Amino acid sequence: MEEITFKIAQESKIRKKPSFLKPWMSLKYLFKKPVTIKIPYETIEPAKNYRGFHTLNWKTCIGCNMCGQICPARAIEMTWIEGQKRPRPKIDYGRCTFCQFCVEVCPTNALGFVESYMLTTEWKEEELQLFDWVPIPPEKFREIQETYRDWKFPVERMKFNKETKEVTYYLRDGTEFKFKILGYGLKPPAAAKPKPAEKKEEPKAEEKKE
Amino acid sequence: MIETVLKALFILLYATFVGFMFMGIIRIVTARIHRRVGPPIYQPILDTIKLLSKKSNITHGLIYDFGILYAVGATILAVMFIPLGSIGVLRAYGDLVLITFLLEIPMLGIMFAAMSSGNPYAGIGAQRALLTMLAIQVPLGFAIVALAEYYGTFSTYQIVMAQQVSGWSIAHLPLLLAAIAYDLVLQAMFGKEPFDIMIAPGEISLGPMVEFGGKHMGLLNIQHAIALFAETLFFSNIFLGGGVVTAFSSSVLNTIASLGVLLVKQIAVLLVATFMAAIFPRFTIDQAAKFYWKWPTIIAALGAILASL
Ligand code: SF4
Ligand code: SF4
Repeated sequence: MEEITFKIAQESKIRKKPSFLKPWMSLKYLFKKPVTIKIPYETIEPAKNYRGFHTLNWKTCIGCNMCGQICPARAIEMTWIEGQKRPRPKIDYGRCTFCQFCVEVCPTNALGFVESYMLTTEWKEEELQLFDWVPIPPEKFREIQETYRDWKFPVERMKFNKETKEVTYYLRDGTEFKFKILGYGLKPPAAAKPKPAEKKEEPKAEEKKE
Repeated sequence: MIETVLKALFILLYATFVGFMFMGIIRIVTARIHRRVGPPIYQPILDTIKLLSKKSNITHGLIYDFGILYAVGATILAVMFIPLGSIGVLRAYGDLVLITFLLEIPMLGIMFAAMSSGNPYAGIGAQRALLTMLAIQVPLGFAIVALAEYYGTFSTYQIVMAQQVSGWSIAHLPLLLAAIAYDLVLQAMFGKEPFDIMIAPGEISLGPMVEFGGKHMGLLNIQHAIALFAETLFFSNIFLGGGVVTAFSSSVLNTIASLGVLLVKQIAVLLVATFMAAIFPRFTIDQAAKFYWKWPTIIAALGAILASL
């Protein structure tokens, strides 16, 4: 049998004597400069690759729904967009935990993220729409982030036209980002004529439902 | 007659304003010890304005409202009795026992209001506050006795005048002992750590104050400001020589100068209390009672004995 010795620190070395005078030492901070970041006047730089909002490369996303399957918060819903052959992920920031599993799992690296993390709205229906978006391409997002460097959500306002289903993102640099939502889910909506490429995905969607 | 009313009004306004500044100073100094920046100095005024302009007010009956008014009234009355430099409305009658008693009354008013709210936290807070009050009486009594023995009078104004002749009270050993005991007692009277047992934020969620909101809390803030002013003023009057400046020929200049001198002394008292509050953790109620009946009592009793020799 091999003998094992444990090292135990002695009680007498750890235990300090209570003192009346020593607490007064903490007064030494009274005239030192406070370690405070005065937030409205000073800014902090988030770490590189700080897990913030998502970006989506619309050209490389293949609509495989890998991201939707791994998302622990089920924050990703596939969305059919007019003019696009495949569905795109729509992320709900009311649920998202910013774990970035979806970015990790994406086979084509279409989904990415940037360091911006600030999104505050008032308790108004039209402002709350900001929390639900199909991420914009990374180049655009980065550009906005570099211009303002205040780490805010790049969309100022969203407009959703109920009849035409047209969504408009009013970006912070004044440009508009428009697209039309045809339907949600993995099945292509009836309005969009199913194309051969999408038919392959249909059985997969049904499998999941069972 | 009119002059007296004006004087009283001036004292009241001055006490409230300076009291709020004191509250601001406490917050800034505490923040600096924690290496924070802290709020601006006028923050307590903004807080009070906000509280007073709340729309909904909860009341639990007559005593609940009356207790607060009682506390505010008693504090104002205490301020009137303490000589403020050369200004004083009732300073001729401001005897030590009376002022000491008046400074404790607000606590009773708050207790009334708290107990009538029927909240168990308020009940616990009230019990603890009353026990703290009971504990501080012993050293407080001895300190007062030491003062009265030494100067041979109970009148605060005469004690201030006597210090003009014989130097500050804390320069004499028996009174220095009394002053140390009184300073420890002040900590409990301010409701500051280590003896903020009756308020105990985080332990019994604000104790007696747990049910107050809106105008009640606003009035309590005002009461706290005036009480801070009154207690520091009383301490500077009886131990730090008060503020009677007769260096200038004009009486207005003299008054302003004495107010300034008093302010410096009050802030000194306040700073010591703030330092202690920032660096010592809270006592439990049994420790506090034991503490007050032990060290401050021994010190103050020693002072009283020495003073009577
Ligand atoms: S973002 Fe990536 S994982 Fe999600 S559907 Fe597109 S390609 Fe698939
Ligand atoms: S970051 Fe995590 S929680 Fe948010 S959408 Fe991606 S997988 Fe879901």
